[in-house]
Parts: sequence; structure tokens; C-alpha cells
Amino acid sequence: MEDPGVRREIIWIISVVALLAVFLGSIAYALSRGYSVASEAEVLPLEKATGLFEPGVKKLGDGRYQVDIVAYIWGFRPSRVELENPREVIIRIYSRDVIHGFQIVGTNVNAMVIPGYITTIVWRPPYNINGTLLTICNEYCGIGHSDMYMEFIIRR
Amino acid sequence: MIGERMFIKITLLISYILLAVGGLFGLLQLVSRTPGAPKLVDVSQYYAILTGHGVFLAILWTAYFILGLAVFVVSSELGKSFRRSLLASSAVLAILGTVVAAYPIVGGLLIGEPTMGAVLYTFYPPLVAHPAFYIGLALVLIGSWVFAAAVFDVFIRWRMENKGSPIPLGTFGVLATLIIWLEATPGLAIEVIHDLIPMSLFGKRVDPLLDRTLFWYFGHPLVYFWLAPAITAWYALIPRILNTELYSTSAAKLAMVVFILASTPVGLHHQFADPGLSVASKTLHTALTYAVAIGSFLTAFNIVMTLARAGIERGGYGLLGWISKLPWRDPVFSSLTLGFLLLGVGGVGGMVNASLNLNNVVHNTLWIVGHFHTTVGGAVTLTFIGVSYLLAPQLFGRSIAGMVAARIQPYLWFTGLVIFSVAYHIAGILGAPRRVYDYTYGGLAPLSWDPLLQAGMIGGLVFWLSGAIFISNLVLTPLLGKPVARLDGSPMLGGGNNSGRASIYDRLSLWIYIAVILIVLAYTIPVAEIFSRGLVQAVCITPQGIRPFG
Repeated sequence: MEDPGVRREIIWIISVVALLAVFLGSIAYALSRGYSVASEAEVLPLEKATGLFEPGVKKLGDGRYQVDIVAYIWGFRPSRVELENPREVIIRIYSRDVIHGFQIVGTNVNAMVIPGYITTIVWRPPYNINGTLLTICNEYCGIGHSDMYMEFIIRR
Repeated sequence: MIGERMFIKITLLISYILLAVGGLFGLLQLVSRTPGAPKLVDVSQYYAILTGHGVFLAILWTAYFILGLAVFVVSSELGKSFRRSLLASSAVLAILGTVVAAYPIVGGLLIGEPTMGAVLYTFYPPLVAHPAFYIGLALVLIGSWVFAAAVFDVFIRWRMENKGSPIPLGTFGVLATLIIWLEATPGLAIEVIHDLIPMSLFGKRVDPLLDRTLFWYFGHPLVYFWLAPAITAWYALIPRILNTELYSTSAAKLAMVVFILASTPVGLHHQFADPGLSVASKTLHTALTYAVAIGSFLTAFNIVMTLARAGIERGGYGLLGWISKLPWRDPVFSSLTLGFLLLGVGGVGGMVNASLNLNNVVHNTLWIVGHFHTTVGGAVTLTFIGVSYLLAPQLFGRSIAGMVAARIQPYLWFTGLVIFSVAYHIAGILGAPRRVYDYTYGGLAPLSWDPLLQAGMIGGLVFWLSGAIFISNLVLTPLLGKPVARLDGSPMLGGGNNSGRASIYDRLSLWIYIAVILIVLAYTIPVAEIFSRGLVQAVCITPQGIRPFG
């Protein structure tokens, strides 16, 4: 350990590991505060999906909503969702054809939609979010991909 | 039967053709999607061209260059000949596979059926392409395995005669690259042979999440398959150019060992936004991705210290005085070093992508496009360009035709790439998606996207121009270059690191065992999750939205 080259190397490795530990800690903190990513999924077999998953908005009360969306080539049903003072929005999305994406531009809502799997996202819209939000498919799904979008309208 | 030199010439020639075609495709789609710029291609052609850009550059240009480079390095360092039958059969399989896989893309464009191959280079089912696309990929894979056998055959023969010697650094890098490839490719092989070929031929129903997981099992180590040779080139060549020694050979080998261990069990960081995979599995893959970053951090340290020591030896003083003493006019040095700097940018961005929470902001946005252009388009491609300036005179016996052009070209590439990537990173944070033909969204798209997309186009045009200069310089070299002596490769590679005894880093089988254990640990839970719910039976659909099997 007398070699200064080796000593510098070891100091560098320790600093790098410490930096990575800080990053990992920040992710653990975010998760502990209820940060939500798409993860647990319900499988809804494609041949049975008709009737079991219908698009629409349900008001659960107390600023809570459930929004069920069908993603298809090439659009979303419903194509427009209006929410009054939402505090918590449970968004569930289902595709019967190919893989799609679901991204509300300008927010952290960003998830994949995989045929047969119901994607569930819990979104707590920040208070400063207001007006019409462009919502797009962000995974290539065929030649109509860039025509596939909808609107989320938040009223305060 | 072909010898080493012929094999190197053939694979490098094909790699440059792929670079030229893939680059042209890049230009066409870049301009077509930029608001305010002319639509050079229609929407169906756009996605065919985007597929070609990804397949030809990310997968094939890199792979062919690496084949040639690997043979050059191993035959120069170990002084042993390859088995010609293995070299020849790997080349035949790879070339045949390339032609077959290119048919739905290029052939589709030529016969006016551009959607035949328009499934992009990630080809997620149940989108389906012409069967030739998948069959060609399978042939390339099998060819790559034969190639790996050819290299290991040489290495094992050398090992028998040199028990106890350390593995020369260049060869060590080549072996690490091939080990990563062999860890990764079973995932792709299972996806393509078990699911996608039967899907495209007979309409087999597939589980899209399982296939996505298999794809990314392969897709992330693919990144290290590109990077390991580029990093090896820095380790082996930069000290030679500077007439010095690498700061630490053991740290270089340690970095490669980290890549062998942790490049594969990290694929879920491409699937953070997927339903059906638990947060626990995703967090495990985040942690392992951070572990693989240690290899890149070690490389950053080692190369910067090597550069600094060389600059100080040349009379540089003070904290930064060494920088101006480095041979920036040498195109080999500047390409390699600018490529190294771009890996720094890509590495920091990669830490963002690997973070489970930050990923939500950038997932599937132009940020990702900006990111991988700094890595595969910057660090890897610019390094391979630098290596080409070194190899071309060896192969042709001619000096580079245009030395002035060669001096300017790496800086042009670097500048264009930085403009392109910075603009696309910012556009991504503002939510602009990738893989899109038209950014208008019925007038709802944020106004902030347009100037960034336009700046990105300017950057892209600059590094496209740089690529065109490089390709024309290469074409002219055998015609106009002055005759020079052909050197053997060994003096160009680091000779000084072959002294002493083998260390723990040279025990490759140990690292392979640990890597396999890590892969099993990291993938057992996600795969079990997918199977425990019962597989989905998705019906394939073409990019035009047609179900060919009803």
C-alpha cells in the first residue's frame, strides 16, 4: 500500500462506491415515500377481455378517481378525460393488440402497456398541474404510432 | 478457407458498408421527423429506415468491426493462427444472415413494401415482420458463436503453452467481449428461435412480456459488447501512442472483470415501466446496474491518469497544463480520446436511466436517443474510426489519403454529436417521445420541442458530414495513399504488460462461474413472476395493423 498509484486507485474506488450508495439511498427514500411505478399487474387473458375491461372514468369520492383506458392501434378510449381537483388518480390501461406506451407529457406518468396485462399507475397530480395535458403512446406500435394520443384535462 | 488478414479485410469492409448505409438512413429519418424540415420519406418508409438505422448500426456495424478487430488483436498478441475452417464458416453464416435479415428492410423499401421489416431493432412482438428478418438474425447469432469458438480455440492452445503467464491486455479485452456475448445471446436466441420465427411463419401466439424480458436480457449486455472493445482499444492503444505505460494494468483487468460479472443481470432497467415485474426485482437490477458502472468509473480513472502522466512527462505543469501537451493533431489519438470523453457524458446519463425513479421522466423519450448516441454513436463509433485510421494503412499498405481531413473529422463528429445529444436530452426531459414520425399531435405538442428538435437536426447533420468525410477518406486510401510498409500488429499493441505472472484477474473461469450465479439470481424471480400468472397468448399483427393469421 506504499505505492501512491495504488493508494489513489483505492481512494477513487471508495469514492465511487460511496457515490453509488448515495444514489441507491435516494431511490430507497423515494420508494419509502410512496413513489409509484407500474409493477404489479393483473393478467386479463386476451380472449376473455371483452366485457371485463371497459373504458371509462369512475369517481371514487374525496378527489379520488379511477380511469380505465383501452389502448389500441391507433388511439385511446376514452380519447378525453376531464377531472375536477383530482387528488389521487388510479389509471388502469389495457391493450388487446400490440405493445403501447402511456405518457402524460410534463408529468411522471410514463408506463408500458403490454397485451394481456393491466398496467396500473397511481398518480397524485401536483397542485400546479392544470389545463389540457397531451397524453401519448410512446412505444412504437405500427405506422399509425404518431397519431396515437389523447387529452387529460385537469380543472382546479 | 480464408486466413486472418483476409477475414479482417472482409469483416471491416462489410462494417464500413453498413456504417455508410445506416448513416444515410439516419440522415433521412432525422430530417423527416424534424418540425419545419422537409419530409424526405413517408411514414411507412420512415419506420423501415429507422429499423435499418438501428439494425445496421447498433447491431451489425459494431459486430462486424469487432470481429475484424478481435482477429487482429488476438493473432498479433498471441502469435498463433486461427483454425481457418472456423473463421470461414463464421464469416459465411454472418454474411448470409445479414443479407437475409436485410432483405425485408432494404428489399422492402425497394419493392415498395416498406412495412415488411418495420419492427425496429427491438422488434417487440406481437408486432411481426417478414420471417426473413428473424431467420437472418438467427443465422448471424449462430455465426457469432462459431466465431467465439474460433477465438477460444486459439486462446486455449496459447494457454497450454503459456501456463502461468498473464493474458495480454488486448486479448483479455477480446475474451471479455466474447464472454459477455456468450452470456447474453442465449436470451435472444430463445426469443427468436422459440417464439419469433414460429410466430412469423405459422402465427404462433406469444407472451409479449416474456419476449421483452428475453430481449432485454440480451439488450443490455449488447451495450457492453460494444463498449468492451472500445475500452480495450483505449487501454491498449493510448499508452502506445503516448509512448508510455498504462497507469494500472490490474485496474484495467478489474474493469473488464466487472463487465463480465455484471453486464447481463441488469436488463430490467430497460423495463422499469413494465407491468408484471415487481418493484423488488427492478430495485435489484438497479443495484446491479450501479455495480457495472464501477467498471466504467475505473476506466475513467485509469485513462485520465495515463493521459495526465504522459502530459506531465512532456512538460505540462499545473493541474490542467498536461492537456495541451497531448498529441491532439494525431487523428488516432483524438478519435480515441474524444470517444472516451463521450463515454463520460453517456455514463452520467446512464446513471439516470438506471435509477428506478428518475427513469419515469426519461423512459421512451428523446433523452434515450441522446444517451445512446453518446455511447454507441460516440464512444464506440468514434473509437472504431480512430482504430480504422491505424488499421487501414496496415491492411492496404497505403497511408491515409487525406491527412488534413482525418485530423478535422474526429472533432467534427464530436461537435455534432454533442449538439445532437444535448438537444435530444433536453427534449426528452420535456417529454418529447422517441420513434415518432410526426411531432405535431394535432397541435397539442409543447412549443418547446420544436427548437430542440431543430438543434438536434443541425448536430446530426454535422456528424453525418463527418461520417461522410471518414468513409470517402477510407475509399480513397487504397487508391491515392502513398505506399507504406505493412507492420505486424504486435508493436502497435501494449507489449509491456506481458511480463510477470498471472493474477486472479486472469482466472476467467472463476469470473464466468460468478457471472452465471448472478444471472440466475437476478432472473429467477422475474421469470417466475411471469410464469406464475400464466402466459398471455398474443396474436401477431403487422406494422400496418393487419393480423396475417386471422
